[in-house]
Amino acid sequence: MKKVIAVSVIALIALALVPSIHFAHAQEKSAKQYINLRAEVWNEFFRMTTAAFTVGAVVSGTMIWLVWRFRESHPKNKNPTRWEKLDDPTTGNYEKEGH
Amino acid sequence: MVLELKKPRPVWQIMFSTHHTDVGLLYTITGLAFLFMAGVLAMMIRTHLFFPGQGVLISDSVTFNRIFTVHGLTMLFLFALPVANGVGNYLVPLMVRYKDMAYPKLNAIAFWMNPVGGVLLWLGFSDTSWVSYAPYSVIRAPGPAADMMIFGLKILGISSILSSINFVVTILKCKHPDLPLRKVPLFAWSMMTVSLMTIVAMPSYAAALIMLLTDRLGVSGFFNPSMGGDPIAYLHLFWFTFHPEVYIFLLPSIGMMYEIIPRFSRKPLFSQGSGVFAFVMLGLIGFASWGHHMYSTGMDFTTKVVFMIGTLAAVPASGMHVFNFLATMWGGRIKFAAPMKFAVGGIALFFSAGAGGVLNSAMPLDFISHGTYWVVGHMHLFLTGTIAFGFVGMVYYMFPLITGRMYSEKLANIHFIGMLWGSVQVFYTQHLLGLEGMPRRIYDYPAEYTSWTQLNQIATIGAWILGASFVAFLINLIYYSAKGKEANMDDPFGLGGKYYYPHQAKNPHHIGY
Repeated sequence: MKKVIAVSVIALIALALVPSIHFAHAQEKSAKQYINLRAEVWNEFFRMTTAAFTVGAVVSGTMIWLVWRFRESHPKNKNPTRWEKLDDPTTGNYEKEGH
Repeated sequence: MVLELKKPRPVWQIMFSTHHTDVGLLYTITGLAFLFMAGVLAMMIRTHLFFPGQGVLISDSVTFNRIFTVHGLTMLFLFALPVANGVGNYLVPLMVRYKDMAYPKLNAIAFWMNPVGGVLLWLGFSDTSWVSYAPYSVIRAPGPAADMMIFGLKILGISSILSSINFVVTILKCKHPDLPLRKVPLFAWSMMTVSLMTIVAMPSYAAALIMLLTDRLGVSGFFNPSMGGDPIAYLHLFWFTFHPEVYIFLLPSIGMMYEIIPRFSRKPLFSQGSGVFAFVMLGLIGFASWGHHMYSTGMDFTTKVVFMIGTLAAVPASGMHVFNFLATMWGGRIKFAAPMKFAVGGIALFFSAGAGGVLNSAMPLDFISHGTYWVVGHMHLFLTGTIAFGFVGMVYYMFPLITGRMYSEKLANIHFIGMLWGSVQVFYTQHLLGLEGMPRRIYDYPAEYTSWTQLNQIATIGAWILGASFVAFLINLIYYSAKGKEANMDDPFGLGGKYYYPHQAKNPHHIGY
């Protein structure tokens, strides 16, 4: 799990850094160079889309894993959880339960 | 306990009751009835757009405009708000341990304004689109349709304010003295947040509607350029109400997920405090972002930046809810009955819709997507993908409480798969249509634009799947409420323990109490 998080964080940092480096280099070029605003906007759009969907994929992936791993029919989930001995497990308290 | 169908009562007894469970039932049934009616209009719109250049189902553009206007108004004001109020009526008094809503008669009056407003909207069948932008709604929109819409919306707005006052007073003043506010369940917190937001936001729209009406009557010219008025002023008044209104629709759905997820995960909620904080933050931030609907109206750069940052500030608060849900599920033993499936599906689509929202709020990107099908896809992904998923999940959750019977899990599965599949297919495709440049609210498009045709046809097939899944829902609601297996009211979902607490609701009008 830690590896997945590490790779995701590195990917996000790269997504943020690469465009900035690109802009920094672009500034050093000739003053005659003009910016195609439409292309810049579309670039921005695709970068933000990539960032948004990367985060989305990580969260959605986590959720899919959660759904698969903690479903009641999973072999590791045969036994009741420690909260289920209560009449209402949802009133349990993390602090009291020593979580 | 409200076993409406198990031990039937005369309909008039429910209709003229002021008890919170009866009013809740009336709200819920009304909301669901309007959902199906507006759903039929949606199917007509999508089927029409399947065949470019042919006018197969809808013969002229004015009728098309009328249909999507009434579809939008109905889904927002006659489905989303009433169902949230219905569930709130059922559960909020229980959650704060009070016998009823604070003002029961006001509660019933607020409900009965809904059918009246609904009749005005449907008989008028206005063509202004749900936003009723000036100057079209002032100068050209045909009467009496637009006038009936204005009156209908005024009535629905007053109803919203009355019910909001009732929820705020019930939670803050009628709460049991032993129950600290911070421990009030999060669904009640969501209702309190949206009620406070409604009280602050709604007067702006109420004023805009009166100004619109007097403009239409020719006695004023607030939004009429030929009389020196400014149509953009209408946009400001409108969006000051309706960006917060987005959260007013959304937060009850999130609150419902807070009700469902811990129960079906069989463990406590991960963090009550972060849930409360996120609700309050979203309630405040909702008012800091209305300008992002108007980037293309000539607003100055600084103002745009303020609204852009204000909009993006909603991301951390929304993320807190999502991570709270995930952390609650982590380590649980999750039973995927229908309510839980809809809650999890809703969270997944909430995240996608939120990602689209981040792109919309960035002003350079907004110029690309503004007025295109991207926006249609985005708002529908929120409204159907998140809000309707939460509401439908909650209806399944409350089904045993309301009817004393169990729905068919098989049909609920069909409903869930169809709704998830359909929502993704329609609304993701609409995002792509927006990127292809298709403007929203157009009656027809040239068949030569093959990419538009193909994407529209994919979206329409998705809409049919979505619509068909609601047939399963309808069967569950009607047939299984009368013929379904009797529910074990202590534990209808077989979760173990006796924590299906809504059944503790006592109805003094009911035989046996």
